[in-house]
Amino acid sequence: MGSGKMRAFLLIVVLFAGCGNMNDLNPSGSDKRPPEQPGTVGPAVGQNAPNFTLFDTLGNNFTLSSVIPSNQGVVLYFAMEWCPICEGHLDNLRTSVIPAFPNVRFYVVDYTCASVAEALSWEVAAGYTGSGFIVLADTQQSVLNLYQATMGTTVVMDKNGVVRMNEDYKDGTRLQAILANLP
Amino acid sequence: MNKFIFTAICAALFTGAACYLSLPAFAGSCCGGGGGAALVLPKMYQSMVDVSFDAEKYEGFWSPQGVYTYAPVGYQYRLNAGYGLRLAQNWQASISVPYVWNDNQYSNGSTHSSGIGDTTMNLWYEALEDRSAWKIRSMRDLTPSVTIGPSILIPTGISPYDNKTSSYDITGRGFYRFDANVLIAKTIHPWTASVSLAYGTYLQRPVDREYGKYVEPYEKKLGDRSSAAVSLGYIYYVDSAGDTLTGTVSLSTLREENATINGKRQPESGFQKDAYGGTIAYSSTDSDWIIRISWNSAVRRSGWGNNFPATEIYTVGVSYGFR
Repeated sequence: MGSGKMRAFLLIVVLFAGCGNMNDLNPSGSDKRPPEQPGTVGPAVGQNAPNFTLFDTLGNNFTLSSVIPSNQGVVLYFAMEWCPICEGHLDNLRTSVIPAFPNVRFYVVDYTCASVAEALSWEVAAGYTGSGFIVLADTQQSVLNLYQATMGTTVVMDKNGVVRMNEDYKDGTRLQAILANLP
Repeated sequence: MNKFIFTAICAALFTGAACYLSLPAFAGSCCGGGGGAALVLPKMYQSMVDVSFDAEKYEGFWSPQGVYTYAPVGYQYRLNAGYGLRLAQNWQASISVPYVWNDNQYSNGSTHSSGIGDTTMNLWYEALEDRSAWKIRSMRDLTPSVTIGPSILIPTGISPYDNKTSSYDITGRGFYRFDANVLIAKTIHPWTASVSLAYGTYLQRPVDREYGKYVEPYEKKLGDRSSAAVSLGYIYYVDSAGDTLTGTVSLSTLREENATINGKRQPESGFQKDAYGGTIAYSSTDSDWIIRISWNSAVRRSGWGNNFPATEIYTVGVSYGFR
C-alpha cells in the first residue's frame, strides 16, 4: 500500500473527524441540568407550568389551569400527525401507562394540524378515539413553543402545577417513575 | 472489477443506501438524513469522484405493527459527495459525505433546514476479480468479483442529542457504526448481477441532552442492523465504439434491532424496510465519465416494513475516474 496515498487518506479521515458536531458525541456524562427555579413560570423542571388554552377535537375549550387542581397530575405528549415514532409512543402510553394512573389526565398535543377538524380526522383515522387521552389542536404551535417541545416531548405537571418532567418519551419508563412519585 | 460491474454494484449499493437513512428518520425531517452510499472503484482507476443528488419523497409510514399508512408528503434532498482512492492493487478506500436539506410541509406550516449528514468511510479489499466473459469457456469465467471490507459511519450530522431544539432539523443519528460489507458481482455479457450484504453495530454513547434540553445522563446504543441488496442488469451497446447503457433493477431489505438505554431494550425502537428500484447508467469507452439516474421505492404495503417512513428516492449521479 503506497504510504503517500495512505497518508493522504488518513489526512482526509482526520479532517472529517475534527469537524461537524463531534463535540456533541462526547458529552461529559455528568448531569448538566440547570438548577431548578421554583416560583418562576416556565417549561423547565421545577418551574410553574405556563398556562394555555386550546380546543380539543370536540371543539371544547381546554385550559390547563382549570384541570390541574382536580387531578394528581397532568401529562402532555407532543405528537406530529402520521408519525411512526409517535404511534409507538402512544401505543405504549395507552397500554402501559394510562391504565396504571387513573388519577392522572393525559393530553396529546397535535401541533401539525391546521384546524380542530383536521386533528379530529387524524384522531379517528389513527384509532385514538376513546383511547384514554384527549387530543388538543395546537394549530398555531403556540403550546409547542411555550413548552420548548418537539416530536415526542412529554411534560408532566403535578397537582400544584409544577413541571416534573419535560423530555423525550423514549420507552415510557421514566414517565411511569415520575408519575408514581407524584405527591 | 470493470465498469459494467461498477454500474451493477452502484445499483445495489444505491438501493441499499436508500435504506441506510437515519431513523430519527423523519423525526421531523421527513426522512432523517443519513450517510451516502459506498463508492467502489473499477479496476482501471486510481481514484474516482462521485457526486449525486437525491430527492426523497415521504409517502407515509409503517406502524410498529407493520401496517402501512399513507401520510401527507414531505421531502428531503441530499447532495452526496464521494471520493475513492486506490491504495494498492487490491485495496481501496472511499469516503462519502451527504449534505441534507429538510423540507417539511404540514397543514399548519412548513420548515426548512439543512446541514451535513453522517459521513461514511469504507476500506475495500478486492478478493476475487471477475473477467466479465462474453462466453463461458472455463470455470474461471464463472468467477465473480468479491469485494469485502469494513466501513464506519461517522456521525457528522445533526442528531437529536445536539443543540438543535427541533426534530425538523435532524440530519444524522448521532452514533458511530461499524459495518462489515461483502459485495459479489458477476458479468456475463450482456447480463450483470450483484449481491451486497452488510452487518453493522453501533457504539454505545452517553447522552446528556435531547433536542437541546439537558436531561439526566444515560447510555444509549442503537440496535444492530443487517441489510442485503440484489441487482440484475442488462448491458446495451449503444454503438460500435463500445458506449453502453446499463439498466439495472434491484431489491433491498434493511433491519435494525431495538435500541437499548442503560442496557435495557427499548421496545418498538427497531425497524424494517424493504424496497425496490432501478438504475440506468451510461458510460463510454473513451471517457471516464459514468452518468446514472436511479429510482428507489419502498414497498408501500403492510408487512413490507415496520416503524419506518415509506419513501421514494430519485437520484441523479455522475462519476469521474482518474486512471
